[in-house]
Amino acid sequence: MTEPPVLEVEGLVKHFPIHGGLLQRRIGAVKAVDGVSFTIARGETLGLVGESGCGKSTIGKTVLKLVEPTAGRIVLAGEDISSLKPGAMWAHRRRIQTIFQDPYSSMNPRLPSGTIVGEPLENFGLSRGRETDDRVARLFERVGLRPDAMRKYAHEFSGGQRQRLGIAKALSVNPDVIVADEPVSALDVSVQAQVLNLLIDLQEEFRLAYLFISHDLAVMRHISHRIAVMYLGRIVELTDKRSLFMRPLHPYTEALLSAATAPDPKRRRQRKRIVQGDVPSPANPPPGCHFHTRCPYAIAECKVIAPPLIEVAEGHHVACLRRPVGGDPGPLSAS
Amino acid sequence: MSAAVGNILEVRDLQTQFNTLDGVVRAVDGVSFDLARGETLGIVGESGCGKSVTALSILRLIPPETGRIAAGSIKFEGEELTTLGEEAMKRLRGHRISMIFQEPMTSLNPVLTVGTQIAENVVRHMGVPWRAARERSFEMLDLVRIADARRRLDEYPHQLSGGMRQRVMIAMALSCDPQVLIADEPTTALDVTIQAQILQLMLELKEKTGTAIVLITHDLGVVAETTERVVVMYAGRKVEEAPVEALFEEPLHPYTRGLMRAIPRLDIEADAAGTRPRLQEIPGLVPRLTQPIPGCAFAPRCGFATGRCAVEPPPLVDVGSGHTVACWEIDRVRASAL
Repeated sequence: MTEPPVLEVEGLVKHFPIHGGLLQRRIGAVKAVDGVSFTIARGETLGLVGESGCGKSTIGKTVLKLVEPTAGRIVLAGEDISSLKPGAMWAHRRRIQTIFQDPYSSMNPRLPSGTIVGEPLENFGLSRGRETDDRVARLFERVGLRPDAMRKYAHEFSGGQRQRLGIAKALSVNPDVIVADEPVSALDVSVQAQVLNLLIDLQEEFRLAYLFISHDLAVMRHISHRIAVMYLGRIVELTDKRSLFMRPLHPYTEALLSAATAPDPKRRRQRKRIVQGDVPSPANPPPGCHFHTRCPYAIAECKVIAPPLIEVAEGHHVACLRRPVGGDPGPLSAS
Repeated sequence: MSAAVGNILEVRDLQTQFNTLDGVVRAVDGVSFDLARGETLGIVGESGCGKSVTALSILRLIPPETGRIAAGSIKFEGEELTTLGEEAMKRLRGHRISMIFQEPMTSLNPVLTVGTQIAENVVRHMGVPWRAARERSFEMLDLVRIADARRRLDEYPHQLSGGMRQRVMIAMALSCDPQVLIADEPTTALDVTIQAQILQLMLELKEKTGTAIVLITHDLGVVAETTERVVVMYAGRKVEEAPVEALFEEPLHPYTRGLMRAIPRLDIEADAAGTRPRLQEIPGLVPRLTQPIPGCAFAPRCGFATGRCAVEPPPLVDVGSGHTVACWEIDRVRASAL
């Protein structure tokens, strides 16, 4: 690739302090994100998948600078934004926008939807008055809403239409990167298909880079080019989607894929082993590899050594002691 | 196994309605189905299709201030539930018909220990002494594979993880050996690895206890992996019913087909270039249930619809092997590619 990535994240760390005791002193930290690195190219979708508490949403918020990173670098379109103060960050906000799971909670119920979508345009001085209205009307059309709906209020739209509004708003300022945090999780499947198709079309039209956060593997496989699997604040596997689904190397990825349901009654008999136990608390993760407490392949070293994320085959990164460079990509044997 | 023969639950022409500011909502509009002893029946559909209201109707938990069962019959072991007195209904609920809901935290009492809550139900319905009920609580927690069950008896719901809370709900629901368990989106709030554990547990317990299950979900994957027969609902009506293999092999209602094409699938191999095939959208929106729908409720969104579909409701037709479908254009649907 000749073009540099539009978003580069290196060694990102976000700790949330835990206060306790009589004086509410700091007694520990939740290591929500614990040293995460990835890049996204223009026109590419990187999926972040994992279960509750794995840190995927915190990464989204940190990249958007809605929360300040504890350590690490975030480079957006060639500029390091990791330590920018809110005032200096403002100029860069146009480049990175977001779509939420529930767009309704991010919309002022007292403003007509056209004003909501047009606000970023006026905020960033990209247009004024009539020109804004024209641009908003075109945006409405582009996301599949009728322009006369600009006068309606957020509550008058259905869930799928509200997500279209959220997309129009994010799109209005011509961003380079869109962080989409579970954008279709609250939608019914028939509407989910409409929104996923729209996101893919817009990406191809505007060469948008998506950081797509979801717990749903099937959605992830559909929309992503590359996928990072997270477990308790760390990326355990990162590769293109084809090899992730065909040759998952990390035992946690294997567990996730095996647990996912498929709309095919014949498949239930093929179900492999189901990983047991709960995800440990991110405030007190197990030492070594965080997954060793639930991993059927764990060996003694896994309890002490935190495996680094290494490239074991071209473009295929995995953090597992049992998956060395050049190792056999076949199934592991239980320890 | 003569006891295993026959239906334990028979729902006929159920109509449940709610009064709203916009008018009367026909949430369930003439739904019929049977549940055989020991069977797992799935009810699937999208938001507002009436699947949860059907469950609440069976349990007679429709809030009387706003809603009512307007017509139809619900027979449990031959006994009519729609006209049963509230006291008799209370003896039934949590005993012979049990339920689990999506969010266990809202169904558990936060100020009582888990052991106390399960034991309460056992004392109430089985009339056993407290000590025996506590022992039963322990057995149940152990049965749903909560580690260190003896200690967990004395814990409060907030001390448990989401998956464990749902296990407690299952333990409570099964504590009085119900004949029917109604599970409304029991794994929707859970992470995938925990969902897999809970579904496996429910199926294992069903084998052990013989409890029939009505599993209500929007998730076709969950339906495919756990049920034996499936009812598909749309806009308060049953549009298709079939044994699970037949439904996924040859869905016949255009809505069922639309749903199956709309979901991104993990089990279908992407092509070599890794291109993203377009998901098939179902155009349009679900109809408002405040207006009477004269014809087929799906007609405005259906590619097969003709003039007749808009005015005349299609009857449910049996196409063989227990596969029924409500569609006027079934021959054309069948002839078209899936």
